[in-house]
Amino acid sequence: MSEGTVTGATPTSNRVLAGMSAVGLAGVVLTYFVEGPARFWADWLIWFVFLVVVALGALFVVALQHVTGSVWSVPLRRAPERVAALTPWLIPVAAVALFSLPVLFSWAHPGASHVRAIVEKSAWLNYPFFITRLVICLVVWVASYRILVGKSVQQDTSRDPHITVMLRRFSPVFMVLLGLTITSFAFDWVSSLEAVWYSDIFGVYLFAGAALSGLAASTLACIYLMRRDRLTKVTADHLYNLGGLLFGFTVFWGYIAFSQYLLQWYANMPEEVFWYKQRTVGGMLIVFIILGIGHYFVPFLALMTEDAKKKWKRLRWVSVWLLFMQIIDLYWMIFPLLGKNMNLGWPELAFALFFLSGGVLVVKRAMEKGSDVPVGDPFLEAGLEFHL
Amino acid sequence: MAESTFGVLGIFKSGADLLKAVPKVKEKGFASLEAYTPYPVHGIDKAIGIKKSKLGILVFIMGTIGAVSAFLFQWWTSAVSYPLRIGGKPYNSWEAWVPAMFEVTVLFATFTAGLGMLFIFNKLPFFGSPILKSKAIAATTRDRFALLIQPTGGLLDVEAARAALLEAGGTDIEILPAPDLTPPGPGWWARNLAGIALVCVAVGFGTMWAIKIFPTVKPMVEMENQAKLDAQKADGFFKDGHGMQLPPVGTVPRHYMPILAKSPDQAGKDLVNPLPVTAKVLQRGKAGYDIHCAVCHGYMGRGKPLLDKFYKASPANLQSSTVMNAPDGYIYFVISKGKGSMPSYEADISSKDRWAIIHYVRALQRSLHAKEEDLK
Repeated sequence: MSEGTVTGATPTSNRVLAGMSAVGLAGVVLTYFVEGPARFWADWLIWFVFLVVVALGALFVVALQHVTGSVWSVPLRRAPERVAALTPWLIPVAAVALFSLPVLFSWAHPGASHVRAIVEKSAWLNYPFFITRLVICLVVWVASYRILVGKSVQQDTSRDPHITVMLRRFSPVFMVLLGLTITSFAFDWVSSLEAVWYSDIFGVYLFAGAALSGLAASTLACIYLMRRDRLTKVTADHLYNLGGLLFGFTVFWGYIAFSQYLLQWYANMPEEVFWYKQRTVGGMLIVFIILGIGHYFVPFLALMTEDAKKKWKRLRWVSVWLLFMQIIDLYWMIFPLLGKNMNLGWPELAFALFFLSGGVLVVKRAMEKGSDVPVGDPFLEAGLEFHL
Repeated sequence: MAESTFGVLGIFKSGADLLKAVPKVKEKGFASLEAYTPYPVHGIDKAIGIKKSKLGILVFIMGTIGAVSAFLFQWWTSAVSYPLRIGGKPYNSWEAWVPAMFEVTVLFATFTAGLGMLFIFNKLPFFGSPILKSKAIAATTRDRFALLIQPTGGLLDVEAARAALLEAGGTDIEILPAPDLTPPGPGWWARNLAGIALVCVAVGFGTMWAIKIFPTVKPMVEMENQAKLDAQKADGFFKDGHGMQLPPVGTVPRHYMPILAKSPDQAGKDLVNPLPVTAKVLQRGKAGYDIHCAVCHGYMGRGKPLLDKFYKASPANLQSSTVMNAPDGYIYFVISKGKGSMPSYEADISSKDRWAIIHYVRALQRSLHAKEEDLK
């Protein structure tokens, strides 16, 4: 297979991305001093969670292929593996995000000791345990990344089929760890912002978004490589399967999102329903409607037919759209915390510029190293012969 | 060949052999092909040129119709035709309708897919393709792959087809005769419909019998068995053992102030209707009147009861000059304490509603005794 261009000098496009990221960083820093810490931390949290869901989603896609023993996906498995290169970068972003705790999180406010519902949760929501859980999550994720992706890259040179066996045994373990860590992460970093609120299904909700975002980012990476003739033997039939997974997880997200909403709307319990009330008034109602239509109906209809899943152009815009919807979803969940100050403006653009160009740069640099397909995987040939 | 054939069939050992044979057969000019395989062979439908089924679009349309009709049905029943407030939610609660919309969508879509496949695309009620009577069929459900050449338009050159299959590597060539496509006669329909009817009747009686013999289990009895006070039953919760309790001594329920006057005449002197005459008060009065009073006094207050054939009582004619000249307080006393065989309505109608009913009675009286100046 064609090797990626390994050159000493940094390509121009990378320098442009680094420059854009630097401009974004200036805007990010400026936000803190001009718009105040609350706005800054809300934006930082959105992008922190977004990076987590994309990186974990990509790891989930990789592990899913090993768990199911898929052969068709072997030729394009490097795409999610390279998107997962974002995982180690979660550590610095998370370290900075820890400083948002006293600003944004209602259980960390001084007045929280007067709220009974928060006091009852204080065994879980306290600084030492919270930070311990974050560290455990990060250790699990980065270690799993090192195993799932590191071993796969190692196989390129060693050609050792035992690595495939080992990855197929490790992946189910990772799935369990992922389920536990992403649930804890979702409770900690998104739902504990409003510590009174609770929703048992919330971890699944964030996981549904993560699986979808990981698939969308992987599809984009795959199409990026195909358009540059680096995955020449990957056909429309392979894309069809990616599109099928995107379609399936779109429905999964819609099902979970609506289940959570319907139950809380029906029961109408004050400690639950206020969360939705805050998010369906004024401008947030528009965001809520956009989310329902854009995150579910648009990709559902766009990917419904057989042909749609085979067209790379269609898959590309649907993937970009789904990633955009994931950000809107996080904005909708996190920004109402700011009360009247939840407008969109230049700070959000600066954050988007910083994190998007930075994230793309990380993935792009990962694509410059090593082979574009897992050349050492014994199932590669069978995977290339895949037909619908 | 004079005799019409369904097709010529050849056997291959693997899916790959089958895939390789298809272009060779196509080269010979045979365009109408069909494959029979024990499991899906990737790429075979593209190779033999199967057109995309139209079933998908049909299923989509019917699914959409299902979703829309379920929405409209629930909207009409719960917001238009018979609005019921449930759980304090608005009548127009689309959230509550989504599960049923989803179910009906799936119902319409799957029925369209199943029945559409059977009747439109598999052309029921013709049962059984000739392939089912071939020698090859048993093997194709195990480990053999069959390719069938079918006539394109007119008749098939059987010998050429056999040669093409042999050349492509096929074995056990079989010539399948054309099926009998005469539509089923009335006897067939009668037999089948009678059979279905018989099954329905048997299942119906069977269910009835089963329910009679076996004790039926009540589903979801939690709400019925909850710990609660029952107004008409004994209950250990209170000391006197009654579920229903009298108000504590010296208390009065809100909106049910007791009447202090001792006689209707005294009430007529002491009491003044506190309510203004507005459309809202008259509406309220009409509602109360129609519920409590009209049964005996009649909707126009003429004193002709709706049930006079069964009850021998003679209710007061509210249009009589006695009642017309009686002050509001007098009527208020009669409603509150009763008169003759009329019982007291003190416990049933709030004092405010009693006054509203009196306004309405006055309006009824005026409607039948309009004066000339009322026209101005």
